[in-house]
Amino acid sequence: MKTVTSKMVLTDASRIMTEALVQSGADVFIGYPITPSNLFYAYSKERFPEFLAGPDEISVLQWMCGYSAAGKIPVTATSFPGLALMTETLNMAYMMELPMVLVIVQRLGPSTGSATTGAQGDLKFLDGIISGGLPLPIFSPSDFKDSWNLANEAVKTAVELRTPVILLTSKEMVMTQKGFDINLLKTLNRVNNPIKNFEPPYQPYKAGEDMVPPFVPLGNEELQARFNASTHDNDGLIRKGTPESLANTWRLREKLEKRIDEFFFYELDAEVGATNLVVSWGITSDASRDAVQAIRKKGNKISLLIVKTILPISSKIYEIIDSYEKVLFAEENMTGLYKEMIFGKRNNSKVKTATKFGGMLTPSEIEKMLFN
Amino acid sequence: METSDKILTKAKMPFCPGCGHGVCVRSTSKALENLGYGSKDVVMVSDIGCSGLVDPLFATHTIHGLHGRSPALGLGVTLGLDNPNKKVIVIQGDGGATIGLQHILEASRRNVDMTLIVLNNLLYGMTGGQMSGLSTNNFKQFKHSDDNAEPYDIVNLAHQAGAAFSVRVNDISNFEKILKEAIEKPGFSLVELSSLCTSHGMKKISELKNYIVEEEKFTNNRPVGVSLRRNTVNLFDRAKILIPQFNSNISETIGVVIAGSAGGGIQSAAKMLAQAGILSGLYATMKGEYPITVGTGFSVAEVILSKKPIHFTGLENPSIVLAVTEDGWNKVKNRISSTSKVLTDSKINSEESYSTKEFLKEGGKKGAALCAVSYWINESRVFPIEALLKVVEGSKYEESLRSAIKSAENL
Repeated sequence: MKTVTSKMVLTDASRIMTEALVQSGADVFIGYPITPSNLFYAYSKERFPEFLAGPDEISVLQWMCGYSAAGKIPVTATSFPGLALMTETLNMAYMMELPMVLVIVQRLGPSTGSATTGAQGDLKFLDGIISGGLPLPIFSPSDFKDSWNLANEAVKTAVELRTPVILLTSKEMVMTQKGFDINLLKTLNRVNNPIKNFEPPYQPYKAGEDMVPPFVPLGNEELQARFNASTHDNDGLIRKGTPESLANTWRLREKLEKRIDEFFFYELDAEVGATNLVVSWGITSDASRDAVQAIRKKGNKISLLIVKTILPISSKIYEIIDSYEKVLFAEENMTGLYKEMIFGKRNNSKVKTATKFGGMLTPSEIEKMLFN
Repeated sequence: METSDKILTKAKMPFCPGCGHGVCVRSTSKALENLGYGSKDVVMVSDIGCSGLVDPLFATHTIHGLHGRSPALGLGVTLGLDNPNKKVIVIQGDGGATIGLQHILEASRRNVDMTLIVLNNLLYGMTGGQMSGLSTNNFKQFKHSDDNAEPYDIVNLAHQAGAAFSVRVNDISNFEKILKEAIEKPGFSLVELSSLCTSHGMKKISELKNYIVEEEKFTNNRPVGVSLRRNTVNLFDRAKILIPQFNSNISETIGVVIAGSAGGGIQSAAKMLAQAGILSGLYATMKGEYPITVGTGFSVAEVILSKKPIHFTGLENPSIVLAVTEDGWNKVKNRISSTSKVLTDSKINSEESYSTKEFLKEGGKKGAALCAVSYWINESRVFPIEALLKVVEGSKYEESLRSAIKSAENL
């Protein structure tokens, strides 16, 4: 039963994430409407300090890059077709090291698929979306509280690590309404982006020990800002294949992988003595929570891992998974895309998948697959 | 604005001998300096192609992006800076202007205060001299193109889309003067400068006459597009706060499916049911399903009511199915299980003998779903009907909603 101090509303996660992004300091929403991300568009129109309607998704992300390079924190929301159009510019933003947040609301593919059916089908596309094997930070909320907290972490990570960040969600997560106590949402502070100390002379892409160069926005009165989408040296000028320019590109990977502990989030409901583990992320997490509850009710031991920072993959994930005899991945796609990121495509007697394509994976289906 | 420092660095021009791009760069720099701009007052935006080699030449802020996208990037920079003392200059080639035409039209339409310089060498210089959308027809026969479509008149297109100033200049002795005019003009300005490619274009040019597109110049007197920042309020400040004040005696989790047609208030009725549940101390979820067309076909909503927190929001076996139109019924009839309680409108032709009521007759087209929900609440006593009446209190449609709720008493 809810407490007397509760402040209940019927809401969806789109509203929660939008509010969290603004409170965290996001300045501008630039969007092109696409189902099922349209609630973000609508809420952002109401809430963001600035809102722009782009004529297409390429323009949207280019405008965002411009805002970001000028020192603002931009946000957009889209779905796979929009993300596909944004891909080249997303690589640009990554290369330029521009802070921004992209909310990706997954829907059933391929192609235009079914716009109003949820899915978890974009994970491996996002895994390889940055050409060359570099990771893009991806957070995936498992419930409303995560939606609030991870939206905040997305802004923090984008600014602190100078990178685009993906909030990966799904139609049912952002459109389904739930009674929710908004008093459970902690107050968020605006993320600031001051120019941090650097060892002179200033070079736009010269990083210190934290592997992240100080962010100087375009238009700065003292320092010359340079941003570059091509392979560049510390000065931000195109340099093909020099040790300095290649080291700069390697650094993009290293800053995220070596600092993963700063933005690694997960939930482990470990039961003592359990040898089976259910692994889930995003929209299938709640079905997994119910499945685990049902399995335990029947006297079986089971643990549950909900991964919230999907990429880069933390070694902690491997450690947890390795400590169980059998692992079941619960996902709404054909083959278990997160499973394939961890174990590859090859059959593995330790690994099972409970997958569904074209509808919500149910707790009973997860339970059934575990004991199948 | 600063006046003491130079716009250009001392870097050597990276262009092929004889290429006109160097003249364009120097003319741009002189125009800016003559207007009093210092290096930190200017943001130079460039993209891919020979025109994209300009970065090291400028001591200004620079941002070097993707092929054809620099006008869009520059638009974002301009609005993001939101500072009339800063000047955004975008440089791209004719290839970039072709692939990024939409961005030029959009910058023109919005009349954002920046200057786009299109260095038109009539071809793709870096990839082998292929033709661009700005190549002349005679030139197109030269390489890599069999079509004879007319080239874009990018200057006139920008004008038609609303650019404050757009101009084509062939005579290099006028470059600086025209660039100065363009940079000074508030709003979006486009300057197309002819700058022939020495490696791929010169031989052909010697065989042609009048290869250059005629000079032209347009102006529009329109408001300048600026950043529109505003103060907003917390999204939850206007959310309906639901303070539990009624009681519910349900012991099991209940899943209700409401099915009807688009425009029939299905989603609203479901939302009100969920809100009434919360007012009665229950946990509730609500989700909708409808075709992408939104305004036609079926409309189905699911509501889960429970004493316990709800995780999974799908509905495997609906406890209650309320169907008010054929559209909705056809969508949900296969989901009915042996334990489902079904109530349909009397006009629906169901093969089974389910309970029927005249929801449409009593509630009307828009109120039938709410009438059905109200009927079920009254009949099942899951919580008092007053909870539903409380939900509609203060709504601008309160009268008609109350009427639909009350209409259930006639059934």
